[in-house]
Amino acid sequence: MRRLGALVFLSVSVVLASAFATVDDAISRALEAIDPYVKQGYVVRDDQWGGDLGVREQKAFPHTLFKGNDYWFCMGTDADNAQISIHVYDSRGKLVENSSWQKGRFAAARVIAPTTGTYYIVVEVANSPQERTSWAMVYAYK
Amino acid sequence: MFKTPVRATCLVLLFASHSAFAEAPPSRIDLSKFPATRLDDVVVPLPSEVFNVLDKLGTPDWKGELRPPDIKKRGARAQIALLLGSVIAEGFVAVEATDKERVKEIGRDVLQLARGIGVEKTVLSRTNAILIRADENNWVGVRRELDGALSDVKKAMIELKDAQLAHLVSLGGWLRGTEVLTSIVGKSYSPDGADLLNQPDLLRYFQQRLVDMPPRIRSNALVGRVQRGLDEISPLIHQKITPASVRRINEITGEIVRAIDTDAHA
Repeated sequence: MRRLGALVFLSVSVVLASAFATVDDAISRALEAIDPYVKQGYVVRDDQWGGDLGVREQKAFPHTLFKGNDYWFCMGTDADNAQISIHVYDSRGKLVENSSWQKGRFAAARVIAPTTGTYYIVVEVANSPQERTSWAMVYAYK
Repeated sequence: MFKTPVRATCLVLLFASHSAFAEAPPSRIDLSKFPATRLDDVVVPLPSEVFNVLDKLGTPDWKGELRPPDIKKRGARAQIALLLGSVIAEGFVAVEATDKERVKEIGRDVLQLARGIGVEKTVLSRTNAILIRADENNWVGVRRELDGALSDVKKAMIELKDAQLAHLVSLGGWLRGTEVLTSIVGKSYSPDGADLLNQPDLLRYFQQRLVDMPPRIRSNALVGRVQRGLDEISPLIHQKITPASVRRINEITGEIVRAIDTDAHA
């Protein structure tokens, strides 16, 4: 009985540890993607957003951006062979980013806010070998 | 990790070249068809994002914007949370004013207020760093630590299952930040400056957060005062922002911030 309890405990621990590792890995990827911009003088915010998404599933984050600020939003996932994307739209649904790129487990979008107001940061898992794909987003500004 | 800026730049170029093969995003999306956005998904900007823009608006009299918050008058946890947010925002004003002594005082005030709501340990390293960066005249560093203190306090409160107080910290910071912003814009009105107040969704977010608070917090007289103030600001922010509306928002936020300072036992 004691051995069974230990096994259950071990299994739960392994599952929990791998779940945290997945989120942590996605955050690490997002931070890796944003690192070059930090070296260019952007200040990275010490907060992360994330979760998991199915293939072709999107999620939008409303965010007040301030006119004149220059933002990079970067996304990462721990899933090998996954393709993700991140884009910035204004409150009328118009694509407003100045540039963006996607490279497998990394994606980023830059916007120099043309006006102050609400923008939508839209993240998507475009393709993935997994049913649900963990992802994380960070951003920096200057 | 990238060891040199050259390698970092190369990686950006490599990514950029690959993105040419990626599917182009739609130039327009229908937000109404988009999956409903939860309140938790709203990103509340950091004070430094606003002050970053204010830096570019010329050289206002920042010393004239400083005020001495009285943190000795401490009441309910809701008041301490609002005051903590307001004091952190004051730190940004002190940074703009390059007032080293005031920044250090604020660092110590943040620690005391954090102690009042049980998250002292969380901010100890931040407040120490604020004192060190201020001594070094490293104003960018001080800003970073103030932003970090705000984030750390909020995370600690959420971990303590006290997310409501975390929202009040954010709100206290927004109120003081908006008071300063409207003061500066009001003294030298420009459409660009007034545009910074175009934050209707952020205001709606704070209003909704107050509505969703449990009765024990909503019944606090100070929280009720804040809620009424936000309701007064709302129509002013939802229309073209004029010099008169800037002045009025400044009056309302100023009154609320004073109430947070003094209405300790409400």
